[in-house]
Amino acid sequence: MELYELDLYSMIEKLKAKEISPQELYESCKARIDSCEENIHAFITRTDDFAKKQLSENLSGIFAGVPTVMKDNLCTQGIKTTAASKILGDWRPPYDATAWKYLREAGAILMGKVNMDEFAMGNTCGNSAYGPTHNPNDISRVPGGSSGGSAAAVSAGYVPFSLGSDTGGSIRQPASFCGVYGLKPTYGMVSRYGLISYGSSLDQIGPFARTIRDLQLVMSVIARHDPMDSSCFREKNPDFTHREDVNIKGKKFALVKEFQDFTLDAPIADAMTKTRKVLEDEGAIIVEVSLPVVARYAVACYYALAMSEAHTNLERYDGVRYGYTVTDAAGVKEMFERVRSCGFGSEVKSRIIAGTCLTEPSRCDEYYVAATKVRTLIAQEFTRAFGETDYILQPASPSMPPKIGEVDDDEMKGYEADLYTLPVNLAGLPGLTFFTGYAEKLPVGLQLIGPRWSDPELLNAGLVLERHLGQPKIANGGIK
Amino acid sequence: MPELEFTPVIGIEIHIRLKTDTKIFCSCSTNTDVPANTHICPVCMGLPGSLPRLNHNVVEKGMLAGMALNCSVQPRSLFFRKSYFYPDLPKGHQISQCDFPVVANGYIEVHDKDGNLKKIRVNHLHLEEDAAAMHHSASDGRLEGASTSYVDYNRAGMPLGEIVSEPDISSSSEAVEYAMNLQRRVRYAGASDADLDKGMMRFDANVSMKCSDGRWGNKVEVKNMNSFRALERAIEFEIKRQKKIMLQGGEVLQETRHWNDAKGVTSASRVKEFYRKFIVEPDLPPLIVTQEWIDKVTAMMPEMPDVKANRYVNDWNITREVADVLTDDKNLADYFEACVKAGANPVRTANWVRTEVLRILNEKGQKISDFTIKPEVLASLVNRVDEGKLSTTQGKEVFDYMCSNDSSIDDAVKHLGITEGGVAGNALNDIIQAIIKANPDVLEEIKSGKDKKGKKLKFLQGLVMKETKGQAKPQEVAEAIAEAVK
Repeated sequence: MELYELDLYSMIEKLKAKEISPQELYESCKARIDSCEENIHAFITRTDDFAKKQLSENLSGIFAGVPTVMKDNLCTQGIKTTAASKILGDWRPPYDATAWKYLREAGAILMGKVNMDEFAMGNTCGNSAYGPTHNPNDISRVPGGSSGGSAAAVSAGYVPFSLGSDTGGSIRQPASFCGVYGLKPTYGMVSRYGLISYGSSLDQIGPFARTIRDLQLVMSVIARHDPMDSSCFREKNPDFTHREDVNIKGKKFALVKEFQDFTLDAPIADAMTKTRKVLEDEGAIIVEVSLPVVARYAVACYYALAMSEAHTNLERYDGVRYGYTVTDAAGVKEMFERVRSCGFGSEVKSRIIAGTCLTEPSRCDEYYVAATKVRTLIAQEFTRAFGETDYILQPASPSMPPKIGEVDDDEMKGYEADLYTLPVNLAGLPGLTFFTGYAEKLPVGLQLIGPRWSDPELLNAGLVLERHLGQPKIANGGIK
Repeated sequence: MPELEFTPVIGIEIHIRLKTDTKIFCSCSTNTDVPANTHICPVCMGLPGSLPRLNHNVVEKGMLAGMALNCSVQPRSLFFRKSYFYPDLPKGHQISQCDFPVVANGYIEVHDKDGNLKKIRVNHLHLEEDAAAMHHSASDGRLEGASTSYVDYNRAGMPLGEIVSEPDISSSSEAVEYAMNLQRRVRYAGASDADLDKGMMRFDANVSMKCSDGRWGNKVEVKNMNSFRALERAIEFEIKRQKKIMLQGGEVLQETRHWNDAKGVTSASRVKEFYRKFIVEPDLPPLIVTQEWIDKVTAMMPEMPDVKANRYVNDWNITREVADVLTDDKNLADYFEACVKAGANPVRTANWVRTEVLRILNEKGQKISDFTIKPEVLASLVNRVDEGKLSTTQGKEVFDYMCSNDSSIDDAVKHLGITEGGVAGNALNDIIQAIIKANPDVLEEIKSGKDKKGKKLKFLQGLVMKETKGQAKPQEVAEAIAEAVK
């Protein structure tokens, strides 16, 4: 067994016992990256020099010597951070995102910044100014998005864990496509400071790993209060301590009534059946909850809010202070126009235009303001549902990962896919993607949702499922 | 046909810099006395990934300013993103409370043209961040046409309170009084230094005209007034301009106009107003002000100048005019009250502060906070004059000497060769005898009864006062001479 194949927990144990050295671990992961990266293209920027510098220093903390990668919308001091957009140019942030800072202080080694859809807008990781990332399980397929690089890097064994961000499914969907565990924490559980914003009230940073225990380890480091983020929790830090004796006896797991007629790809439907059986065998109770407002309005509500917030978040990219700029513009207006026309990709531009229209004074009440009200109703509907159940079980995506470049014209399916992920962000809930097994060579994941701040319990439920459904293997990374 | 009458309808928006050590959404210093772009950080530069966090001192200063304008604190207020593109705006939007302000519904009083008090309603004060300062190479100092523009982000994120009045103002003089009164009150509250020279207070005016024939002119927003004088002139110019248009039967264009202080005119803004829209600032939770917090800030509120002046008049019999002068500046009023507290007579102290202290401050171009004579010391000096230990003239000499030499009262008295308590008793009689001896003809005249008007007696008194260097009490001198010539 190669060192890179170890999970996070095992790496920590072996490093602590000095059975392996951080240097050896780094070399093993680096070699793995070198051999697969040509096939996968997970990185935007590799940070070997920075990693070597870290290794030369006195490493301390629970992750001392463990390699990791960050989604490229997380600021890393002095290291190019692009959000996969041309508009940020060669920008090097003068500060670290809090989540990365906590990991760095815990001794994690940065192997690089990984690919994503531009400004996290997309679900294939193909909408990047730096080209698409490939699914390590089948390099002809997409890894999902927008945190495709983070999911692929863990799946391919580059690193035992990574961070991504989830605004409408951007952790959960790629986790299911790549066959890793991914947690979108409760809104406010992980500081967003240093995360390049897409939809600020929806964005949340979360981890990818190959075991639930590893997710617990990462959360124990990054789920800490941060005064730099006003939306971050203020109470005492949550407890993500790993326990073996967890069970789900008597717990209720709900299926959403309104989603039951949706079309699912066969492997996903099979995974649902298999998971239900596991839950029942473990003494859990399967129930049904009704989410009529969610089913009817969540998608429209989500896009109205996400784009309204996105277009204001992206107003700062004007070429004046940093990033891509032009020097021969005739005036400041021309400068703004040219910088933004050339710097943003087409998907980002269309969302900016949509957001501008949705908040335009004559329409603002009808769209943006209405959406904020619907959002409150959606949150209330989930609160009521969680009075009847402990968890909600559903797919993270109704489809298996498509081939790169393949466009699914089934709009209904796209709408239903959105319904599995977006409402969770609207209500600020935690959502966990867990591995259920393989169909042919492709992994199949499902999603478990809990009430706000139930992240530790959600992971415990995940542990029970992991025990029965097994852990994912490291993907071949395109190497035959 | 009767002559048409025009009534100006004016509302004023005033931005004040709230007085805090750090900016509104980050911990950068608000000290402006530093090189450009040195007090900046990822937050006030709007760098990707940075997030605003509200400085609670700014909220407190906003509450104080609002209370000074008789506003009530709103238990829940919000922040919005106000979008427009300009190089001075790091995020492409300004974070502002807009129409969900922290304080609202106040008023302050001004005098109308008949001298009666009139309430000008304050709609609200909302909190917002300032933009960066820009310097353009163009001769007119504006962005358009400049070959190079420089941006100083030290100012970005400075805490501002925007105070919006109702359109209750009817003249430029009311406008100026409103602005001056507002300045005095927010300074009193410690909410802002409101120093016009430092750009800590800026004015925009909305001016429209109501005609006696029933016509209402459109509203014109006039921007870029940075002094009381500019405010006055800009409004006067606008009133004349709009009146002329309406007299000619024309329609006033609803627009934003720019005050050009050098030319003394307003002109239509060359830039079209940026397209603006507001969404709730998702990075800041609603601002909740608890009753405890309101109580705490209320307790911090000092007595306002009008209340203070009334107290001086009613409790201390100080004239209205002097009371107004003393209460114009809170520090001066505090100084005066400290003197009174130290035991000096209020009326006489008021006159001392009003004439002598202000004279010295004017001469030296100082503020009361720079003044070297402590209130207790001035009180003691006033008392010595009151008790007759020093004559009024001597008191002033001592005061001047103390101001110039930073000395104590005793040192000044000693240096000026003054015998405190004056020449009296035997010493005085000796001097009187000597003077009478030296002026036998005068004595003769008095004794003969020819000095019916007492002129000769006054003459002798003058000689005695001169001899005693003014250190004798005139009353005592008069009595002693009368006795001596009997």
